Parts: sequence; C-alpha cells; structure tokens
Amino acid sequence: MPTIIFVAADGTTHEVTAVADQSVMEVALGAGVPGIVAECNGAAACATCHCYFDRAYVDCIGEAGEHENEMLDFTASERTADSRLSCQVRIVAAMEGMTVRVPSAQ
Amino acid sequence: MASAAPVITDISYTDLLEDPYPIFKRVRDTAPAVFVAAANLTLVTRFDDIMSIERDPATYSSDNPASLVNKVMGPTFMRKDGAAHAAGRKAIEPSFRPGTIKEHWAPKFTGICERLIGSLREAGEADLFSALAAPMASLSLMEMIGFKAMPWETLAEWSQSLIDGAGNYSRDAEIERKAMEAGAGIDAAIEAMLDHHRANPNPSILSSMVHADPPMPIEEMRANIKVIIGGGLNEPRDAILTLTLGLLENHAQKESVLAKPELWPTAFEEAIRWISPIGMYPRRVTRPADLAGVALPEGVQIGLCVGAANRDDRRFIEPDRFDVFRPKQSHLAFGAGAHFCAGTWVSRQTVGRIVVPMLFERLANLRLREDAPPVIRGWVFRGPVSLPVRWDA
Ligand code: FES
Repeated sequence: MPTIIFVAADGTTHEVTAVADQSVMEVALGAGVPGIVAECNGAAACATCHCYFDRAYVDCIGEAGEHENEMLDFTASERTADSRLSCQVRIVAAMEGMTVRVPSAQ
Repeated sequence: MASAAPVITDISYTDLLEDPYPIFKRVRDTAPAVFVAAANLTLVTRFDDIMSIERDPATYSSDNPASLVNKVMGPTFMRKDGAAHAAGRKAIEPSFRPGTIKEHWAPKFTGICERLIGSLREAGEADLFSALAAPMASLSLMEMIGFKAMPWETLAEWSQSLIDGAGNYSRDAEIERKAMEAGAGIDAAIEAMLDHHRANPNPSILSSMVHADPPMPIEEMRANIKVIIGGGLNEPRDAILTLTLGLLENHAQKESVLAKPELWPTAFEEAIRWISPIGMYPRRVTRPADLAGVALPEGVQIGLCVGAANRDDRRFIEPDRFDVFRPKQSHLAFGAGAHFCAGTWVSRQTVGRIVVPMLFERLANLRLREDAPPVIRGWVFRGPVSLPVRWDA
C-alpha cells in the first residue's frame, strides 16, 4: 500500500494511500485530488488525466505505449519528458513516496 | 431511503424534438432521474450523475440484448461492456490515433473541404446543411472507413436509415425495411473492399479491422461499420453547422475567433457543449441502484441526457448562452467512460481546425439570412437541419 503524494496545480499536496493494481488516475479520483478529469475513465482516449511523474521512479512507472504516446501530444497543458496519462500507470508497491504533479489544465 | 423516480406526463414528443432545453431544465430541477412518458424512458440530466453512472458500468450497462441497435445493426461494441467492448475498440484504434489523424486524414479532409467550398463560392448563397456539412461529413467518413468512392448522398441515406431504424420504437414496418436495406447495402460495400484492404494495409478502419490481432470476425465488422456510419456522419455534420451558427449569431465572438485563430479549438468545444450533437444515449440498470436518492429498479432503461448535462447550471454559468469565453470546464458531448467517442480527435481536427475556419476564411462576409432563419431539431440527436447563409461572391 504505497503512499503517493499528489501535488495539485495550486501547490496543495494530497497524501494518498494507494491500492496496488489501481491506476494512478483511479487513486487520485478516489481521493478527490482536484485537477484530474478523466473523461474516458481510463480508455486512453481523452487525455484529461495527464500528470507529471517523478522520474526517480521511472522503473516502476514504465514507458508510454504507442497509443498513449500519440495521445500525449494533445494534452491541454504542456507535454514534458515527465508527462504520462495517469490512467495508464498502475500502482506498484515500489511507488512508496512517489510525487505526481497535476497540471493546471486538462 | 431512496424514493421512486417522479413521472412527467404532460410533455409531447414534438416538444422534445423542437426544443428539449426547457424540458431538460424542468427534469434537472425535479430529480436526478425522472420518467418522461413521451420518451418512454427514465431520463438522467444532471452532469455529476451522468459522470458517476459512466464510472459504474457494472450497475449501468451498455449491454442490452433487446436493444433496437443490435436488431438493426448486429452485435456492435456500442452495446457491450468490459473486455468485449475493449477488444472491438482496440481493433479500430489505429485509424483514430492522433498521429494518423494529423498526418494522414487531415490533408485528405482539407482537400475534400477545399473542393466543396470552391464549388459553391460563386453562388453567393447556400444552405450549408446540404452544400457543405452533409457532403463533408459523408465524403470524409467514406475515406476513413475505406469504401470505394460513391455519391455522398448514398452514405448519408444509409446513415439516416440506420438511425431511424435504431430509434424505431413504434416498430414502423417501412422504417424497418429501409434500415434493413441500408444494412444490406453496407454489407455489400464492405465485401467489395475487403480483399483490397487485406492485401494493402493502410490507415482506414476496414484495414485496421482485418489486420487487428486477432482479426475482427466478419459479422462484428459489419455491425461495427454500421455503428460508425450511423454515428459518424451526423455528429461532424451537426457540429460544423452548430459552430458556424454560434459564431454567426454572435458577431463579437466571431470577430475575436477570426482575429485569434488559436481560439478555434475552444470555440469548437463550446459549440458542442451548447448544442450537443448526441443529446441522449441509453443504459440499462443491471441491479437495484440508488442514484443520488432516486431508486432505480433492476432492468429499467435510463437515458443519459448529455445535452441536458452540458447545460446544467450547477456547472455552467448561463448555460443556454453560446460563449466562447466562458471559464474552461469539461463537457459531456463526447460521452464519458469506456465508450468515450472514438472519433473525438478526428472531429476536433476536422470541424474545429479545417472546415469551419476555412469556411469563414474563404466566404467573405458570411452571414445569416433574415428572411430564412436556421432550423434546429432533435433531442436524441440535435443540430441545425437547415442553415441558409449569404456571402459576398
Ligand atoms: S482517463 Fe482518459 S486518457 Fe486517461
């Protein structure tokens, strides 16, 4: 049950105990973290669950698939090297203490 | 304790077709779910309720064995949940990827649009429904599916016949016959192209289907292509007209968008929030549920009125106004959840970046006609059915 630290666009932090196997998007929505819309509820079709991930955890975050990669070109906030669709990132135990930053627009 | 859904009986079906918004507001203000006799459905009209329903497909299923859509079109992924839906969706995904849209479809659709606008420029006036929006949507869809070129009217007629058939709750025999005839035409058009797409992989939907791993079975291809024709033609058509209308009716907003082209995507989103091309879609309640205090019994059919949710005043300020400058809020015009519109990015690109900008750019002083006002109709699907305009030829 890793603790994930979400940083909302206004700088407030939300420490959430995540359940393994959920997506980061589901964890954020369940905890009421503001700024994630998730219009397609995880189908990798809307790009409204965009977040910036902590690169130190890249081993457990993994790489974006082909479809996600293309979708990331259409995010409302700037795409950076840390960008992922949070619905495509699954929680694993090794994510303990990972920070996820929520962009200002989806 | 949850209470039963209230019932509204004093609304006629014609009222819904002509102007559903006052009715939607009344339903929204009455309860989270209301049985509306004219629609023969329990309608859900509030934004947050629809969002929560879409996040719970186990309780609110898309799967409906008795659905008319299945009867008219066959086993489509629109009426499936979970893995069965996801497999169908994945099979068509390559055609709808943002990169494919940008590199492959956008130039093709730009070409179609240039030809259409070029051919009407001299006339100085036209009804944009039949002169631009309908042929544009039809010809683009034909390309995307991977059909042989045919008159745009053919695909448009097939689409209308399928939609009528899927909404044929009165079981009218003539409507059913036309829907079946359209279905047979589509099956033949698929058959005519299958070998070509098998031998030549390309970004078209038929090609994606035959090259999917595993390839989509033929009966699913037939059904899903029918869904795509039924749904993929009227939405871009109606969005083109609605965005054009919104700007023509609001001079200052139009001037702002024309001066700052980076506002086109926002204007497009506002147009489909304002008059959502798909106003309602159904779900089936699979087990006794409590929707924000209203008890929904197992088996009941509910209609998710996204057209109403997109004007929910709990979420949008002055929701009935077309306002490009309203604070950014996501809307439900593309649905929500696993069935979120696969065509979202194609329509954003085609309608908001190609067709409507080109229309305003090439037809100088485009304006509405006072002597021939636009006509807007529908509640399940809604959009202008006539948009007469003039310009300086
Ligand atoms: S929830 Fe839609 S892309 Fe992640």
